[in-house]
Amino acid sequence: MEIRVRCGCGESSCPEWAVVELQGVVQPQASFAGDIRGLHIGRLCSAPSPSATSKAGYTFTVGYHELAGTKVTLKKPLLVLRKKKVGGGGVGDQEPPAEVELEVIGIIRHKILFKDRPKALISKPATKEKKTVQPAED
Amino acid sequence: MDAEMEVAGTQPEIEWDGGGGGADAVLGLAPAGASVSLCYHQAFGPHNDIVLLEAGDDLLPDLLQGRVTVRGRPDEEAVLCTPSATYSMKFVGTSNSVFLIPPGEPSASCLRPDHTKGDANAADAVAAAIKLAPGSIELVRTAPRLDKLRSLLRERPYVLDEDLGDGLQHKKGLYTWKDLCNRIQASDGELLDGLNTLSAVEMDGFWRTVEVNSVNTILDVILHNSVLHDWSLNAMPETDVLSVMESDGFAHKIVTHCLNRFGKKVEQETRSFWSLDEKLVCLQFARKVLGAGKMKLANFMDKWERSIPSGMHADLQMLEGEVLFEKLGAETWVHAFSVADLPLTPADRFAALFRERVKWEWKDLQPYIRDLRVPGVSSEGLLIKYTRRTQPSSEAEPIFTAR
Repeated sequence: MEIRVRCGCGESSCPEWAVVELQGVVQPQASFAGDIRGLHIGRLCSAPSPSATSKAGYTFTVGYHELAGTKVTLKKPLLVLRKKKVGGGGVGDQEPPAEVELEVIGIIRHKILFKDRPKALISKPATKEKKTVQPAED
Repeated sequence: MDAEMEVAGTQPEIEWDGGGGGADAVLGLAPAGASVSLCYHQAFGPHNDIVLLEAGDDLLPDLLQGRVTVRGRPDEEAVLCTPSATYSMKFVGTSNSVFLIPPGEPSASCLRPDHTKGDANAADAVAAAIKLAPGSIELVRTAPRLDKLRSLLRERPYVLDEDLGDGLQHKKGLYTWKDLCNRIQASDGELLDGLNTLSAVEMDGFWRTVEVNSVNTILDVILHNSVLHDWSLNAMPETDVLSVMESDGFAHKIVTHCLNRFGKKVEQETRSFWSLDEKLVCLQFARKVLGAGKMKLANFMDKWERSIPSGMHADLQMLEGEVLFEKLGAETWVHAFSVADLPLTPADRFAALFRERVKWEWKDLQPYIRDLRVPGVSSEGLLIKYTRRTQPSSEAEPIFTAR
């Protein structure tokens, strides 16, 4: 079978998505296991750059953890594709079977990557979110 | 799977319009102290219909202008095809948490754990993640998978004066271009090359190979007519050839196909002429002579020379990659062994070669592997991978055997 890859946006106007990548897993506390939609995760800040030449730094604060990271340009951009069923699927065998299509709905050229060990902000009062971290690869 | 994903999976998916993420707020985060609150989107979920595809800058134009398709049967590993190239698709997972933030206007605020709008920075920009990406699909340039093409087209080769029959029998074993695109994992350009390599012809919408006896018949009649009507074999007038052949009962399409297969067209002012290629014609006669099986070399040369059109000369060089010679006692024997009948994938090709003959000298082996193309691998690389090279002494020819 053949799946077309469509792009409604054209070359110059493909909407850009943002990506925040963490080494580890963000876990809402058990009391929120019900529905996390709309729930705040953390605060992403751009750190003031100490000099004009140093890389733009970012901090991401989740619960009482503070992560430090940088903006990375992807060597190869990523396209965001969405699978869609198109047409057909109607009653009776005269209808063509439903076809699958892939649509390009965005492009990702950069990501903000946090890969250093988080710093614990012990002085801040404990909030309801906590972050568990996988052991960092040394 | 982390708790978050399990939780999201049990919720009914909320309709999502593709936006509402506020990506610009993150992308445009100005240096020196600006901040953004990152939340789970109102429609956060597994969204298994969203995938990430790694696309090098060379592929972006084709991808963004709708010139790309994914081809393959459900039981095959999918490939991505641009108009001229084929790529295997490999999913590469990640153990990191990759939050995908779509573009569009984000909702005004997100829910804090204590159901307040948070600290004094309620005026913070908000961004929302729609899903966690488990990984992305990488593309690796790969050779088109054309072996299936040959077996499909051999199901029902075109035969002169064939009667295709009616009803279901009519279509069985017959493939249109679209049928082939659905079944063969190759780009359009590579598929067309594959069809040309098989000397296939499109008739009544179906791509067909032509059965060998039919090919020989048509060629014989063309040559016979060229004697009869005094056409020079390197300047046969197209209109005359087609009309004479038509009155002999041969359709234009199949005659043109044969002319194309054994020669080339030459345009001269207002008229078109066909020039037959000596090597291709002689090769066809050699194949015909060897159709019965192996022969003594002297016997073969005699029969071959007597069968070719007058004015043409038989030369053993023409038979490279088409025949093999072997010494049995004092005699040299020859039999047909055509590279065109061998598999296209390197592993299968070498297996077939070593089944035919355990040891190969380079001069014999080379014509049978020079058409192998694997992106990123040289022919030396293929030899290293699939053969064992031995050299009895420094003056002797190297010998290749199976690894």
